[in-house]
Amino acid sequence: MAAPLEAYRRLQEAARPVWEAVARPERPLFRVAVATCTRAAGADETLAALREELSRRGAEADVLIVGCPGLCFADPVVDVHLPGLPRVLYGRVTADQVPRLLDAVLGEARVLPELALGVVLYEEERMEGYRGTPVEGLPDLAQSDWMRLQVRRLMANVGHVGAEEIDHYIARGGYEGLAKALSMTPEEVIKEVLDSGLWGRGGAAFPTGRKWDFLRQARGSPKYLICNADEGDPGAFVNRSLMEGDPHLLIEGMLIAAWATGASYGYIYIRDEYPLPVERMRKAVEQARERGLLGENVLGSGLSCDLEVVRGAGSYVCGEETGLISSLEDVRGMPKIRPPYPAQAGVFAKPTNVNNVESYANVPLILRHGAGWYASVGSERNKGTKMFSLSGQVQRVGVLEVPLGTPVRDVIMVAGGGPPEGRKLKGLQPGGPLSGVAPASRILAQDGLPLEPEPFREIGMLMGAGGLVVLDDSSCVVDLALYFEWFAEDESCGRCTTCFGGTRRLQEMLRRISEGGGRPEDVPLMRLLPDAMRNANCAHGQAAPTIILSLLDLFQDELQEHLVRKRCPAKACRGLVRYEVVAQDEALPRAADICPTQAIVKEDGSYRIDQARCIRCNACKEVAPQAIAVLDRFAEQA
Amino acid sequence: MGLTSRHSSRFTPIDFIADDTGLVARVQALLDDVEPDRAQMLEALHRIQHELGYVPKEAIPFLAAKFKTTPAMIYGVLTFYSEIRTEPPPRVEVQWCSGPACLLKGSRNIRLALEAEFGCGMNESAPDGALGLRLVQCDGTCHLAPLVRLNGRYIGPLTVTDAIQLARRLKEEARRA
Repeated sequence: MAAPLEAYRRLQEAARPVWEAVARPERPLFRVAVATCTRAAGADETLAALREELSRRGAEADVLIVGCPGLCFADPVVDVHLPGLPRVLYGRVTADQVPRLLDAVLGEARVLPELALGVVLYEEERMEGYRGTPVEGLPDLAQSDWMRLQVRRLMANVGHVGAEEIDHYIARGGYEGLAKALSMTPEEVIKEVLDSGLWGRGGAAFPTGRKWDFLRQARGSPKYLICNADEGDPGAFVNRSLMEGDPHLLIEGMLIAAWATGASYGYIYIRDEYPLPVERMRKAVEQARERGLLGENVLGSGLSCDLEVVRGAGSYVCGEETGLISSLEDVRGMPKIRPPYPAQAGVFAKPTNVNNVESYANVPLILRHGAGWYASVGSERNKGTKMFSLSGQVQRVGVLEVPLGTPVRDVIMVAGGGPPEGRKLKGLQPGGPLSGVAPASRILAQDGLPLEPEPFREIGMLMGAGGLVVLDDSSCVVDLALYFEWFAEDESCGRCTTCFGGTRRLQEMLRRISEGGGRPEDVPLMRLLPDAMRNANCAHGQAAPTIILSLLDLFQDELQEHLVRKRCPAKACRGLVRYEVVAQDEALPRAADICPTQAIVKEDGSYRIDQARCIRCNACKEVAPQAIAVLDRFAEQA
Repeated sequence: MGLTSRHSSRFTPIDFIADDTGLVARVQALLDDVEPDRAQMLEALHRIQHELGYVPKEAIPFLAAKFKTTPAMIYGVLTFYSEIRTEPPPRVEVQWCSGPACLLKGSRNIRLALEAEFGCGMNESAPDGALGLRLVQCDGTCHLAPLVRLNGRYIGPLTVTDAIQLARRLKEEARRA
């Protein structure tokens, strides 16, 4: 056996007992998901309450901190593993629910069906095997609407292994891909990655193996690797979830890339908004170094590579690879003019390869199981799985991993549970502010709009890096376009006039339209600007008007309503609505009280809204839904 | 100027800065191990901000000397990143999420109401400096949309009424403090 594999086997032998102790615990084990999303919902308090309550009861039990298993809609989640029973995942376990949960699981009942999301089975386990036990009657989590479309490969460890436990990762086969790669030549590794069909998950979909080959052949040293963990698209949080739940997968992927390309140093650039991933990745890098997996002579192979985590400071264009490179070079994070490409002259003018978190994270799996295995799921044209974050006007919000080509219709309607009660699906905003909006008619079409790059390109937008934001019929695409152009201008680096000027001009036009000042000649003007903006240096300026094209081509009717009839069908454009008192009822005094601008005035014993003061914030409507109506601003007085 | 657009420092006026408040000495101590061309600029800014709550303009000449560049270049970097503050933060800050999931669920109404209650715009402080509003980017806690953050805690999903009541409570607390 080759030296790296032998060294790896020794590491794995040592790690196995540590994992076995939590895989089949001899006393109750509580896995608490501590991630950005669960923390926001109170996971820290849950964890503290759980520890306190366990010690108060003198219970013999263990607590393990894991990443978020992706069911954000049920946060905070706690997974309870009792000896002799399968694991049960509980949702909405806020701190005040902890005593109740412990009463049940440590008592006679052993389960708490009211909070149970489902039973988490290991591969070889079946629900039938637990007939007659307390878990009988609980659903199998894998068969739930949220989980049944999913194929979890990248997320295979998330929520299972300790988020800060390298031994768990190694015992479950982690770093085996690296050991295998180190026993191959760099050319063989690149061929394996090429054969798998893996393309870059950051949005551009360029074949990862070819990108690596550019760096391998580049002249100059040292060579650098960069992991783009700047996940700046609002509404995308898949990289965050992976780094928080299984940080070593990324490190292993980058090490394989280092071997394949000849790079000796790597930066993991994480956005400022993600303090927890920064913390987890730094800890993981430290642990990998201690095990001899990072640094000099990795696993005795002769590979020397070190990694460093860099925390961003709040800039969307630093997610553009050359912007990111500038940011590392102590200057403003402005995208550079290409050529030279990063593979020729990247960070500090040295050859550099930049990949997204998920692109690197796929590689260990390809090396461990082979390109054939990797390509066994996916569609005709696109192989493997992709992580997505589902949010917006949908019943279940969270992170999923599905085979490429899975219809987005199923993701929204089955996994997500569709739009909220009483609402209709209007569209989908995939891939962040530089992408467009797919209409419901396309999503609900025969093929359900497969999640792969081509079908999205056909309707003029990008599938993007994983964000899926669902729109229902209470949203307005004009309003959303205005928001995206604001975002694009706000985040423009300022180099290209076509970008910062174009987005400003589009904003002005959309603002005017959303306030009732639309003109028929706005349509040709809106077509002209995206053409000019294609001359911007980077994708930020080039793609900023994508949503304008969606508006013009896919939501014409809605735009025409705004332009011609000066009304917003969804009543989302503030400039096109007015609030009126339509009935006098007992809720009105409270509405007058809540109004932040004292716009609800009482005259001659009856209430009315002073339009000059009203800021249309909707607070009064929440308090007095019967008495207040939202009307079209330019409609005849009722 | 090379490909990395580095400017050589011709003049580093650090010795001429009066350090009445001891600020420069504090900054200096934080950056002992920082070097140029090691991707440490953001780390340096984070350390200063962590210690002082913001990056004061007095730090600019010192950073320029440290990174062998000009004060103008440092100023450029400081103002490029939205999470780097160049002014002291307000005592209590409501952070308003600007993400799309929040937007679709009515965050703009919340913003208007908060601005009206506080009497200040986004990224501004109320006249007495005690309360302020700050726009933050989506961090993927969209299951709580629409949300605001207050002292590191997430509050959501919020109605406009909730937001107004929160603002009034904060104003009351600030008045008493």
